[in-house]
Amino acid sequence: MEFIVPIEVAKARFPDFEFVEALTPSAQKAAFHVRRSGKDYCLKIIAPTQTLERVQREVLAMQALDHPNIVKVVEYEYSVKDGEASHYIVEEFIAGDDLSAHMTPGRGWSIDKIVEIFGPLCDGLAALEAAKIVHRDLKPSNVRIRSDNSPVIVDFGLARVLDMSSITATVDGAMFGTPRYFAPEQLRGTKHDIDHRTDLYALGVLIYEAAVGHHPTLRKSVQTFSELFDAICNCKSYLEDKTFKLLPQRLQLLVGRLLEKERAKRPNNAVIVGKILRELGGADASRGLAPVWPYWSKTSSGANAGRPRGGRDH
Amino acid sequence: MQAGLGEGVIISPKDLAFDKAKQYAKKYRDLGKGVLLDPQYYDPEFAAGKLETWPISEFRQSIGGLSALPSSICSDLARAIEKENRELGCDAVIAPAIPYEAARPEIIALNARLFEIAKNAGDAIGIPTYATVVIGRSATTVEVVEGILSGATTLEADGWYYGFEIDGQQRLPTGIDVVYRYCLAGLTLACSGKGVLHAYSGPLANIAYGAGARAVGIGIWQNLWGFKRTKFQVTAEQGGGGEAPPRYFSGVLWGTIVYPDEVVQLSKRISKSFSSQILQPSSPYSPSSSAITWSKWESRKHMVYIIASMTNRLAQMADARRAMEAAVAALETASMFHQQIVAAGIQLKDETDAYQSSWAAAGKKLLTEHSKDYDWLELCGGP
Repeated sequence: MEFIVPIEVAKARFPDFEFVEALTPSAQKAAFHVRRSGKDYCLKIIAPTQTLERVQREVLAMQALDHPNIVKVVEYEYSVKDGEASHYIVEEFIAGDDLSAHMTPGRGWSIDKIVEIFGPLCDGLAALEAAKIVHRDLKPSNVRIRSDNSPVIVDFGLARVLDMSSITATVDGAMFGTPRYFAPEQLRGTKHDIDHRTDLYALGVLIYEAAVGHHPTLRKSVQTFSELFDAICNCKSYLEDKTFKLLPQRLQLLVGRLLEKERAKRPNNAVIVGKILRELGGADASRGLAPVWPYWSKTSSGANAGRPRGGRDH
Repeated sequence: MQAGLGEGVIISPKDLAFDKAKQYAKKYRDLGKGVLLDPQYYDPEFAAGKLETWPISEFRQSIGGLSALPSSICSDLARAIEKENRELGCDAVIAPAIPYEAARPEIIALNARLFEIAKNAGDAIGIPTYATVVIGRSATTVEVVEGILSGATTLEADGWYYGFEIDGQQRLPTGIDVVYRYCLAGLTLACSGKGVLHAYSGPLANIAYGAGARAVGIGIWQNLWGFKRTKFQVTAEQGGGGEAPPRYFSGVLWGTIVYPDEVVQLSKRISKSFSSQILQPSSPYSPSSSAITWSKWESRKHMVYIIASMTNRLAQMADARRAMEAAVAALETASMFHQQIVAAGIQLKDETDAYQSSWAAAGKKLLTEHSKDYDWLELCGGP
């Protein structure tokens, strides 16, 4: 269920801001394009269902981040006055479109555009990983594209605890709010299994959609949770898609790894994904990269090495 | 190492006192070699030997019992790990960890805690920290192994120190599936983009590079090669074990043991050239064929020399796929030699011909079914 705050109510509660328009709300927040002192911002009023401690922890982490591909948190407040809570975030306003506006069903992007958009997106994800933040809800509407085509990840920290009942609720027989970018571990509801590779799975879905022109596993309206579970947790037929198979081998391999059902088989970090993407486009692949492999040489170590446990040795 | 083999030493606290280890570590470093310490928490109940001389030994039992670790103990443990690694001059900290088991998420949580403690020590010294990933015996399917690895690879390690428990009664496993799982788990770790150091696992060391290893431990312990306890003379001498009959480790037969009397039989019943091939490569520490007993230390040097020579050849392959192809070819050659030996009516002792064909099959299965893993490893610049 979306958290809706009528714009007139919001205006009354936040008189310091000039309200430009209401943005798309979600279950976790109501969002508005606002202005203050001539500058544009995004005001997010947080739904009372969100756990205060978690939101505060993640906002604190976000405030420490300063990265061109991650939205900046300008202001955060939680206060209670006369029994009424005020809980909101002010972020920089990213002019441009959502990533969804760049995606046309049935039409895949050029390799150059894939590299241009998703390379920097990987930089943003790598910065999140370094700050130990998992977005958990990476999807086209949470990626803003500036006029210079640089992507910005938005809408953090509000989707950590997603209510499974809202995911599985049905409207007229069809699932409402289908989590099209959920990784298998999110759908299974095993919270301790969610880590930065959960975001990398969503990145894989985004790249697949951009490159092929449709979602890898959800091609029609999903009617039941069982269908959804099967599509996300079991289906691998997307690897045989005719358009997918026309992509460069390296891109096929990369997307296939990102969409692995087991986290252990996905790329371990966004740095390596960005590196491989940039190599596809022939761009400078060394930008911002840490060494991937340690110093070990490919030779054996000497005697007295440790061994798996067994009985007493001779 | 004096013979030019090996990059360094992984010290085990089980059979070496801490002060003695510090002396040895200095010698190794003076040779320009690396030093690592494997705390061997994956054998949590072990309490004998020289273990009590090590600062972290007092923490083994509490962790072995999976009891909760109060924060006061965590900082004490971090200090003990730091002391050991600093005083040995280690190049990296190998984090303590107990074996991961099927359907035991609390082990993932415990090992994550132990890793964080070790990482604090590594950061304090200014060296990398490797997470220990030992897959326990209960991981009997590929799905379980992959599930365990998904949890284990959450750790922000600088590399993986990898081991795989195999039924203690069968130190040279003959099942295709168990060797396949061992290789697959190693390859999956390698695909994470971080280096994998395989813990000593006897003959399996030679297949490690085909599973994406960046380095592999080779040990002096001969029981993993099927050399049975009954062959030793009882002794109270330091270092355990006793003198043993002279024997060779045959590179052509995948490092398995051949006795001098068997070599004589082979040269008579097959050909001298065949028996000489069996004994390649030779080592400076080979036993005299006329000797009745053989110094255990010489036998250990001989074994390490032979195995390291064999393993280095596989380590020099261009990538993991080529290393596995070479390992499969070597195993198939070993099987062929064994068939000739059997056809000549000779039965080698210690049943050393029991595993090569199934290991070759496991390697082929990995190459066929996980071709894309090798492609991925290559794409991300791995071994």
